[in-house]
Amino acid sequence: MDVDPITLEVLRNKLDGIANEMQLTLVRSAFSAIVKEGLDASASLFTLRGETLAQALAIPVHLGALTPMVGRLLQDVPLETMGEGDIWILNDTYMGGTHLPDIAIMMPVFAGGRVIAISAAMTHHQDVGGMAPGSTPTNATEIFQEGIRIPLLQFRRGETLNDTLIAMLRRNVRLPDVLMGDINAQVAACTIGARRLSELAGGFGRDELLALFDELLNRSETMTRQALLSLRAGTYRHVDYLDNDGIELDKLVRIEVAVTIESGQMTCDFTGTSPQVRGPFNCMASGPYAAACFALRSVTDPEGHIPNNGGCFRPLAFRLPEGSLVNPREPAPTGCRTSTIKRITTAILGALRQAAPDRVPADSGSEIVIMHFGGQRSDGRRYVTSQLLVAGSGASHHLDGVDVIETDASNCLNVPAEALMLEAPIRVHRVALACDSGGPGTHRGGLGGVFEYELLDGEATVTYRGERHLCEADGVDEGIAGGRATAVIRRMDGREEVIKSKLVSTLRKGDRIVIATAGGGGYGSPLRRDPALLQADLQNGKVSLEAAREFYGYRGNV
Amino acid sequence: MSWTRGAFCHPCRHEATCTIATLPCYLGETQQQEATGDREVPTGQSVTIDIGVDIGGTFTDIVCRRAGQTMQTLKIPTTRGDPSQAVLNAIEHLGRSFGVAPGDIARFLHGTTIATNAVLERKGAKIGLIASEGFRDVLEIGYQLRQDLHRILLEPVTPVFLAPGAQRKEAREQVSAEGEIIVPLDEASVRQAVDELVADGVQAIAVCYLFSFLRPEHEQRTRALIAAAHPGIAVSLSSEVDPTFREYERTVVTAFDAYMKPIVGRYLERLDDGMRTAGVSAPLQIMQSRGGLAGTSVARKRPVRLFLSGPAAGVIGGAIVGRSSGYRDLITIDVGGTSSDIALVEGGEPVTRAQGSIAGFPVRVPMVDVNAIGAGGGSIAWIDGAGGLRVGPHSAGSEPGPACYGRGGEEATVTDASVVLGWLDPAYFAGGSVALDPALAHIAIEHRIARPLGLSVEEAALGIHRVVNAQMVEGIRLVSIRRGLDPRRFTLVALGGAGPIHATALAADLGIGNVLIPRHPGVLSAAGLLAAPIEHEVAVAFPRALKGLDVADVRRVLDELDRTCSGLMAEEAVGSMPTSIQYSADVWYIGQSYHLEVPLAASASGALDKLYRDFLVQHDRIYGHATEQPAAIVNLRTVHRAGGSDHLDEGTYRPLDATLEKPRRAIRVAGANSSLPAAIYHRPAMPARLTFSGPAVVEQDDTTTLVEPGWRGTVLDNGNLLLTRG
Repeated sequence: MDVDPITLEVLRNKLDGIANEMQLTLVRSAFSAIVKEGLDASASLFTLRGETLAQALAIPVHLGALTPMVGRLLQDVPLETMGEGDIWILNDTYMGGTHLPDIAIMMPVFAGGRVIAISAAMTHHQDVGGMAPGSTPTNATEIFQEGIRIPLLQFRRGETLNDTLIAMLRRNVRLPDVLMGDINAQVAACTIGARRLSELAGGFGRDELLALFDELLNRSETMTRQALLSLRAGTYRHVDYLDNDGIELDKLVRIEVAVTIESGQMTCDFTGTSPQVRGPFNCMASGPYAAACFALRSVTDPEGHIPNNGGCFRPLAFRLPEGSLVNPREPAPTGCRTSTIKRITTAILGALRQAAPDRVPADSGSEIVIMHFGGQRSDGRRYVTSQLLVAGSGASHHLDGVDVIETDASNCLNVPAEALMLEAPIRVHRVALACDSGGPGTHRGGLGGVFEYELLDGEATVTYRGERHLCEADGVDEGIAGGRATAVIRRMDGREEVIKSKLVSTLRKGDRIVIATAGGGGYGSPLRRDPALLQADLQNGKVSLEAAREFYGYRGNV
Repeated sequence: MSWTRGAFCHPCRHEATCTIATLPCYLGETQQQEATGDREVPTGQSVTIDIGVDIGGTFTDIVCRRAGQTMQTLKIPTTRGDPSQAVLNAIEHLGRSFGVAPGDIARFLHGTTIATNAVLERKGAKIGLIASEGFRDVLEIGYQLRQDLHRILLEPVTPVFLAPGAQRKEAREQVSAEGEIIVPLDEASVRQAVDELVADGVQAIAVCYLFSFLRPEHEQRTRALIAAAHPGIAVSLSSEVDPTFREYERTVVTAFDAYMKPIVGRYLERLDDGMRTAGVSAPLQIMQSRGGLAGTSVARKRPVRLFLSGPAAGVIGGAIVGRSSGYRDLITIDVGGTSSDIALVEGGEPVTRAQGSIAGFPVRVPMVDVNAIGAGGGSIAWIDGAGGLRVGPHSAGSEPGPACYGRGGEEATVTDASVVLGWLDPAYFAGGSVALDPALAHIAIEHRIARPLGLSVEEAALGIHRVVNAQMVEGIRLVSIRRGLDPRRFTLVALGGAGPIHATALAADLGIGNVLIPRHPGVLSAAGLLAAPIEHEVAVAFPRALKGLDVADVRRVLDELDRTCSGLMAEEAVGSMPTSIQYSADVWYIGQSYHLEVPLAASASGALDKLYRDFLVQHDRIYGHATEQPAAIVNLRTVHRAGGSDHLDEGTYRPLDATLEKPRRAIRVAGANSSLPAAIYHRPAMPARLTFSGPAVVEQDDTTTLVEPGWRGTVLDNGNLLLTRG
């Protein structure tokens, strides 16, 4: 198509600006910490074919996550029946959703009286009901336990809200004001997007504008295919595991992927992956989608030169066996899907590493320990507080891994020790790096952390959800695996209880929980590590003298 | 007649990434010192003279003001090795160019990059860090966030370089969240830690214990132990540098403070000594991050407050230009070579924030809220893999610089586009000191952009501007919206050498109707120093719910803060200047993790009710909602100010008696298919109340202003240029 390249680039910058403004509105106006601090929300504009037109930078788990939901809207509601100001809502996992806390709000964008695009926002809500506060119980065995399911419903017609729906929603969640506050933030974000895109469209004819949208997507597709052509063609396999599904604690959950790079196309075949599990670690197609898109971008375009839109997804294809972990049948639960998406990402990256060994690090610890403390002080006051802790990253062919850092699909803050202690009767005794947890190598894996908490008063229910307790982050090219995660409860009376990756238990005054997160895998033989770097590791307390002798062939005395 | 090279493309004026060693050789010693502005140099009179000196990465800007007279300005190269030498050179130039006798200088004000550069170049002191037992790795773990979401090859995001593991020690001690001592300080563990650190060669020690902001005794005792054993070691205590909660931020800012203390101390000492030797008896005052000045004795105690000193002064300068022209809500944009700095001024005051970022690290120091975006005059235009036109984020910087500089640059930059379009006069770039080669600009745009896209060179050049302007516009929108402000009701102030060429295009796209071009946009940071107040700010943690809180408790803490602040002010030579005091509280909803700074009228009746109501209003504005849920105070703060001015006190604006208009020149502008004849004005000769219409170009030594069709220009009585739409 013959387009003016300058108009196209100005339009692209404007669309990105609109998406950023939507995202800012969404996060700024949100009520819940999960949005403000975990940035677990995203806003996008979509074409009428249901492809992303522009998406602001959000955590990778959101890449393209709205696509199946917008697809559902476009499939079920004819464009000519949509009116200005209309809004639809959807969260049902089995109608295009991800997991129930993620609610989508979608709004048509009009120009000259006709729909030209869809403005949409998705937010991870604090609570959508179900068997446990937060709506992501690790022991759910069916979706009905995870909260209220919202099929594709009209939330607003023009200016008129669907009061029936809102009344139903409010009666089915634990924090109705927070839910509605966050939904209103989504509506505000969609409204900003629709208004600005309508204004922008004023300078164009509808056909011209839709053609420009097409061209933008075509160009990202072209660049993504070029990037794929730069990788060595072939089929690459990788297997990684989740520790368990939260129900059957001694059974690893297998994730197998065969990634085929061929003729500017990337196919991810999950044949060999575990059948769907009883616990909530299943995930829908949007999960592998986001994981593959993240893996592809990070390997081929780390500078972000390829504009982020639906064109980037076109060269991707998937084979997701029905009834498997990555394409479960109703009513399998999906609440804890983020852990699975993180592991799918490490699996795809592990496969891509064979095609581009210098661009992909060894496996990362890639876990987020999610801990909730809910208790009562002896004076009766109640509290609920959470902590998020992460592991070390994998070493690469030219860099050591980074200690205790978020990797791949998520990017969440931890809670400062002082904040936690001011909020709950908990004393933090330790926030430290775990010596020797980084996988030995020419380049050493990043260290995990050691964290120790003591309950000071009353009783508390503690929920612990970890990974890499049973299956470590592998090293590459003679590099050695990172240390496994561990967690133990030390009772006042001296007893110790080892946590098998997932647990719900009760702490009493004086009990402590000690957590060590996993280390990243090493890269290259540790015998080839630069002696100066090893010396620094010894001095900085990252490697012990014993480990230096055992793995690195060290002969000195520090 | 003076040179102000690089005014259009001076990369990172306030950063250290430019290399002075590569300054072009045509800047010979003898021709560097010509002054702009009024040539009548009164000598021999006893007058009050204020001097502002802003040291940037490339240039040191000097402004000289005699009360009631036109401000004089001067640029000299920054002396890379020892920036204090540039200040001392400035004193010499002042004598030579302006006839200023050192003894006549009443105030000597300084904006510096010393702190920022020490971090960017990793040139601070070797320091040790002592933490509570169990917490020595907080500095390295931080918030565990990665900076770039789409990267898998990661590098550390925390400032580990400040103190690697071997330089971090622990002291046995524990204080509870209520401020009770659980484990008393084990002095033997402190002595041992200190001895080991000193043996390892550290020059300064940072001490950060948990909850020390509630109970500072352990940190204070640690300092005494260090002083007793090793009196030469500089010490920074977290309970003094930043006495508020969240241990990672407190550790980082305390460590930075220690890291810079020896360097800043030496720097200020050399300056003080040099000034005395040169015969200057006026006190030296330094611009701080928050936009206020402080004397050297205070500044050296709190070196961490000197971050972004220069950009802060620039925003102050922009605010003053706005206030003195009758505009109090401003967006300032300072377009540099690689990036543009955007800041907001609301109600005449620069918007500040409680925490900034230096070289990507969080630094919890109150700062003028300056936001950088990666688009500037040196940004390179390129063609992507799918044949699309892109601009930036890579920049040609000052070396080799835009193609038209003729220093080997072959890439097409935004500045090259300005030359091709006729906006910049190649013979009068930077006052004629740098001859631009339009043929090279033409070739670069033709080869790199126009031909691959099948466009004419002029169309390609217009396209480059449209694209880079779209980026700047979206950047400005985000900065405004983040504060809950609608850019349309603001006035745009273009700073820096390159800002005024983009100003009308940006304003039109943003829906802004007024644009101000200061008289000296190229030296506004130095000018801002002259009008800034002396300011001291002290804050303390005060974690108390608002409900049931006794205002007397608040009052007691504020009195304490006031005493500290008055002590700092007493070290300044403020004389009889009246001091104003402002209180504020950081407030949040209980359970929330982010807070808002709300002004507090502590002596008024119902002060805490008003605080709560004001919090709700501000929360609604910034976050779009506010419900009457319980709120709590996080920190209390007092700010003492003395001096400061609403105008630059330049005296009556008098145009130079010179030719006002140059011959018309054909320029290309967006929206017209062919060249238009544009009036070319010589800014120093423009009389007050002169009005004119676009298309026009206004030229002056330190900048060029493009006035697009549809805009009218008016020279205000104070000499600033106002552009209005329609």
